[in-house]
Amino acid sequence: MMLTLFGLFFAMLLLGAPIVVALGVSAMGVYVVNGDDFTSLIVLAYNAIDSFPIMALPSFILAGALMGDAGIARRLILVAETAAGKSHGGLGSAAIISCLFFGSVSGSGPATTAAISMLLVPAMIDKGYPRPYAASLTSTAGGLGIIIPPSIPMVIYGVTANESISGLFLAGVVPGTLLALALLTLNYFRSRKHGYGANDSESNAVSLRQVVWDAKWSLMAPLVILGGIYSGFFTPTEAAIVAVFYSLFVGVVIHRESTFAGFKSALESTTWLTGRVLIILFAATAFGRVLVENQIPNAIAESILSLTDNLYLIWVVVIAFLIVLGMFMETLAMILIVTPILLPIMTAFGVDPMHFGVVLVACCVIGFSTPPLGENMFIASSISRAPLETIAVKAFPAVLAMIAVVLMLAAFPKLSLFLPELAGY
Amino acid sequence: MSVCTSLVLHLLLDCQRDPQMRLLDKLEDYLCRGLLITFVTLLFIQIILREIFNFGLPWIEELSRFAFVWFAFLGASYAAKLNAHNRVELHLKLLPDALYKSTIFLVDMVWVIFNGLIVYKASQVIAELTEWPYLTPALGWSLAHVYYIFPLAFTLMSLRILQVQYNRIFKNIEPIDADQQQVKESVSVALGSGETQK
Repeated sequence: MMLTLFGLFFAMLLLGAPIVVALGVSAMGVYVVNGDDFTSLIVLAYNAIDSFPIMALPSFILAGALMGDAGIARRLILVAETAAGKSHGGLGSAAIISCLFFGSVSGSGPATTAAISMLLVPAMIDKGYPRPYAASLTSTAGGLGIIIPPSIPMVIYGVTANESISGLFLAGVVPGTLLALALLTLNYFRSRKHGYGANDSESNAVSLRQVVWDAKWSLMAPLVILGGIYSGFFTPTEAAIVAVFYSLFVGVVIHRESTFAGFKSALESTTWLTGRVLIILFAATAFGRVLVENQIPNAIAESILSLTDNLYLIWVVVIAFLIVLGMFMETLAMILIVTPILLPIMTAFGVDPMHFGVVLVACCVIGFSTPPLGENMFIASSISRAPLETIAVKAFPAVLAMIAVVLMLAAFPKLSLFLPELAGY
Repeated sequence: MSVCTSLVLHLLLDCQRDPQMRLLDKLEDYLCRGLLITFVTLLFIQIILREIFNFGLPWIEELSRFAFVWFAFLGASYAAKLNAHNRVELHLKLLPDALYKSTIFLVDMVWVIFNGLIVYKASQVIAELTEWPYLTPALGWSLAHVYYIFPLAFTLMSLRILQVQYNRIFKNIEPIDADQQQVKESVSVALGSGETQK
């Protein structure tokens, strides 16, 4: 059974079939080989989509697109740029923090890298940062936003793993901050050593207070979303809905920047992004069911256990696997496929599902900002016009630092679980 | 059934110039946007009713969920039109162009067959649900009607897959890269639309 399922799955995947088809055909294949009727799989998979929590996904995607159109994202970047101005590598830090802000709003690593590279890489080059170094900053920091709440990958993981989405949002706060701190510290020391951005400070024509005041409605957006969830007013889905209307309000009434064309394109991108993720969820549910029916995760867990029962060693192997996979596969698709296989294995070894989710998303952060195949790297290269290899070389220390943070997250579950436990999740 | 087939063939054969395809595009656009706006607005109304008037209507959640399910499946067909479904194809792009395109053509035909099987099986579920109706708790609708999205969306999706392949093979038109498009849009967001502010 395991051979039919994984054989068909990988064969389809290697031949370039959409991930949905690879999942669906292999799940169907097992039923056909067994002579079973797969009608039950369709009903089961339908029930996975017909659920209230998953409605947070299109709502957060729409909110993110509308926040861009409303000028919320742009003001957040301006705050980061102004605030980080004065130290060594100040503009570099600004780029990292901007990626964090913009990423948590846009929810997409490549889109974040593109936006911040366009904005800050030319400025960094002006200030004497080498071209590849500047591009390596935005490509490694581009993924940070997806672990900072509100996080779309966490919504997807929460639904697949049947974990509290509000709890997962909290669990991502400390790990996301640690990853950002690692990048910031590294940038500080490397900039000081090479004298990058020694004259950053002269550009601070506008005062920080002015910029923060101008961005007050933007800075309030996360407060409304997260405050609403943790004060118990809204579920995550409802918080996303409120974020949609908040962005519309700010964009139309306060900033007066929203356009009808922007609104239409926000609806359009929400349609195809939601459609392609949820159809994978549909197929992955059927795939996961076949896994469970054939007790495949148990079998894998047992064969791992026969080799080693050292949890640290298992974590290292799992993390390496996830980072490599993350270079090839889109984040949400990867979470949908990996969770039904790996989560039962990891829980068999006593890992908390929330803890595993955080490490999984953190690996995704690294995966798509990693040489040689990370998406962010390609985008940063085409925007900065620095060759891919030179960016990869400059990004290497940052990637090592992020891997060190992920290993630390795996070894110390409290780093992820402390906040959700405090809040009672 | 034969009406359906001839319609599909007709739409396919001249999908570039004929008004039917554009009509279908428009209908699909309006339906998707309409469903999205519907469920988002319904949920917002529900939040307002609960938080301000301390009052709830059970049918709102159910209706918004059904709008969402239809939206999600139609969105998948919309993504097929844009050729936006996630594949792992970096290694295939290293192959000669003709070989790459024919491999993708082959797996896309598997996809069409897969969709056909889903339509077939879902129709059986619908037939069962029509014979022994299951009424939804709040609205009292037959679940069979919600399940109509399966034949609708998966047929439409197959049509879109064939359309993309047809354009690629016979018209040499590549679909626009939806992901690249999104990246471009987010750049214009960061820079401020048209730099009007500064």
